[in-house]
Amino acid sequence: MAPLVSVRDLRKRYGGVTALDGLSLDVDRGVIHAVVGENGAGKSTLMKALAGVVQPDSGRILLEGQEVMIDSPAAARGRGVGIVYQELSLFPQRSVLANLFVNREPLRRGLVSTQAMREMSRELIERLGLHVDVDAPLSRLSIGEQQLVELARVLLEEPRLLILDEPNSALNERDTERLFAVLRQLRERGVTMLYVSHRLEEVFAISDRITVTRNGKDVTTRDRKGLTISEVIDGMIGAHPEDMFPPPLRSRKTGKPEELIVRSVSGGELGNVHFSARSGEIVGLAGLEGAGVSSLLNILFGAHKARSGDAVYPDGRGLPRSATEAARRGVCLVPADRRRNGLMLDRSILFNISHVVIGALNKSPLFSISEARSRASRQIARLRIKTRSPDTFVNHLSGGNQQKVVIGKWLEAEPRVILLDDPTRGVDIGAKREIYELIRGMSADGRIILFSSTELPELIGLCDRILVLYRGRLVGEVVAGSIDNHTLLHLINTGERPHRTASVPQ
Amino acid sequence: MTDTEKGQWDATAQGAARLALARRRRRFRLPEETGVIVALIVMIAVIGLAKPRFLNPINLFTVLGNTTFQGMLSLGMVFLLAIREIDLSVGWMFNFSAVVAALLMVAGLNPWFAMIAGIAFGALLGLVNGLLAISLRLPSIIVTLGTFSMFEGLALVINNGRAINPPNPTSTYFTLISAKIFGVVPIVAIVFVSLAVILHFALHHTRFGYRVQAVGSNPDAALLAGIPNALVRLQTLVLMGAIAGLSGSLYVGFRGAIDPQEGSDFVLTVIAAVIIGGTPLSGGYGTVFGAMVGMLIIQAIASGIIFFGIDATWSTFVTGAVIIVAVVLDQVVKYHRLRRAAAQRFLDG
Repeated sequence: MAPLVSVRDLRKRYGGVTALDGLSLDVDRGVIHAVVGENGAGKSTLMKALAGVVQPDSGRILLEGQEVMIDSPAAARGRGVGIVYQELSLFPQRSVLANLFVNREPLRRGLVSTQAMREMSRELIERLGLHVDVDAPLSRLSIGEQQLVELARVLLEEPRLLILDEPNSALNERDTERLFAVLRQLRERGVTMLYVSHRLEEVFAISDRITVTRNGKDVTTRDRKGLTISEVIDGMIGAHPEDMFPPPLRSRKTGKPEELIVRSVSGGELGNVHFSARSGEIVGLAGLEGAGVSSLLNILFGAHKARSGDAVYPDGRGLPRSATEAARRGVCLVPADRRRNGLMLDRSILFNISHVVIGALNKSPLFSISEARSRASRQIARLRIKTRSPDTFVNHLSGGNQQKVVIGKWLEAEPRVILLDDPTRGVDIGAKREIYELIRGMSADGRIILFSSTELPELIGLCDRILVLYRGRLVGEVVAGSIDNHTLLHLINTGERPHRTASVPQ
Repeated sequence: MTDTEKGQWDATAQGAARLALARRRRRFRLPEETGVIVALIVMIAVIGLAKPRFLNPINLFTVLGNTTFQGMLSLGMVFLLAIREIDLSVGWMFNFSAVVAALLMVAGLNPWFAMIAGIAFGALLGLVNGLLAISLRLPSIIVTLGTFSMFEGLALVINNGRAINPPNPTSTYFTLISAKIFGVVPIVAIVFVSLAVILHFALHHTRFGYRVQAVGSNPDAALLAGIPNALVRLQTLVLMGAIAGLSGSLYVGFRGAIDPQEGSDFVLTVIAAVIIGGTPLSGGYGTVFGAMVGMLIIQAIASGIIFFGIDATWSTFVTGAVIIVAVVLDQVVKYHRLRRAAAQRFLDG
């Protein structure tokens, strides 16, 4: 019998970035099939192609041996493909029932019937163990319960293939257990599931078969039984070109080194973290989504409040109380989501480069366009931003050049402490290398650099030390050169080193 | 091609030529306000052709003089729309400040000091709006919807629902402010145009104006660049109040009295002028001169309709239609500019 879903040689490019590079996959009936891979490995694009959200450039998708075109989400639904997205796509102000029947509300005598909804969903809600008031607004439910509502909404369509895109990224342990129990129950009833995640522990707990993807290709597909986390990690990492990372530069700084000391800081997901970083050092921050890396950077920048703990900055003072204070004290943050938090897309490079100098610092009450132009020209030359003029709108630039604008606006303020939150996300490989060189240069200038990344080779290739956060705690501090990809990924995923090697230093 | 290779390519003669071309294009780019200015000229020409009396300078300057008081408010409103805020209470800030200034004159204060007090009082009302919006984390549209009625109520309490007539209308304050230079150009019109020049400079050439546009363009990014968003919002609302105070105090000098209902219907006209002028509701950008010209267009319609002998009530209808036409034209222009930019990006590859 043909597999329920077969994907053959799927290819997809976004501008200069290859998302899928000939990926193939077979999913058998009635199994939970996991797809794992690092960021940018092509997992999400594969799911979106199956759900009809993106159109592949080439390749075939077969359902039960029949080639099909899935050119819209409606077409996917019509063919029995249901998808639960990572981000909840629900209406928090409306009732649970209303959320279950969005756009296919049952009618009685021409009117929307809550009674019909109740009857149609009762059995399913019971089965999912969703003991909530279905008339209450969704926002009263816990995140875990909301996730189950999202699942229920998709299940009401009785899909043949259920796709789960990182369904547990917002869930705590108990809710995850509950979700897994539901998924196992669904498997008993013959539902086929495609489960995407980068949390290996959980993948191993739930799946029957695992496909490892890397750079838009499928590397290996095997039964979970007989497969180890280590093997999966090796598949995910593969071999990376060694010369991607420029060597450290000789220090250009004179005078005594500066230090940032963080003492028992808690806040957000973060609990009781302490470490220190010296000038001229690149300190890496690693952790899964929700492990607290972003919280830590935001607290150090003053954008989030710390619940407790304090810090000593090079200027001898403590945690900044606002982003404005941070900027004035020479602390800078390059945020993870540059389009939303780092740039004004409908404005020129000239305008964006002036953000900090004019926007945050109180130097001169005037805004001189000619000075702004020379600032922008200086950074365009220094960071090699590819553009015709400083008047170009930022949304006309490529991702890498946009990121350079964000870095450039901070360099104009001569920061002492540089916080980089995944600065190379969505940046093409050439621009990545240039950003690495920039980071090396800033480090040689004697600035303190904290660098978070979701790509391991980057952390290992660039950082002097790597701090690993797991569920808000600092679980490891490793010196670069003493760690390989494998151990690091294990630490990030489980909070522990592989058992073969030494135990985690606390 | 990698970015580096492209950079090198750009440095070649071809790249240099292209840069020069871009620079030249920038030099010759028409100001954003060109469209509305052309619209105003066409409108005046059309009315003038049919009714040549309309083109009499005395009449044209009277039109300009009549726009002054609402026009000043629209200049301040540009800053608010640019920062993604709006102030619905402007009409009553205008009235309340005028009442306070007039009452101080009645009480015997020198009219010039009363005017300064009126400006300060307007700024205070703006401060109330700003503090409410920021401390309660409310959008300014909600706060000013409330203060719209609060200011109206308080103004009616202190003027007992009657017009305030300051004594002594022959003092220099009243004679100067209602004067016309060479018998043609009203002083208040000169104040209006000067204020527009000052505020244009403030929006485009000062730190404050830069921050207003930055916060309006992307508040999240502004915050994470260290821009003090709350402070800038507060300053903008205070500026609006001070301008309303100035407008109100001048009005007292110009008319010699302040009626209890004067200003009650200002806000929609003021916002309409800003939008006709080309300031988008979505924030991030504003044009002070555009708002001034927008107000002139509205005023030209109103007086043009009188010249044609049409019932004056029609001018309200026409003003509404002009808003829609202006916004549609603006969208068409933007769409084409976007298309051109996309094509250019494609060519740049």
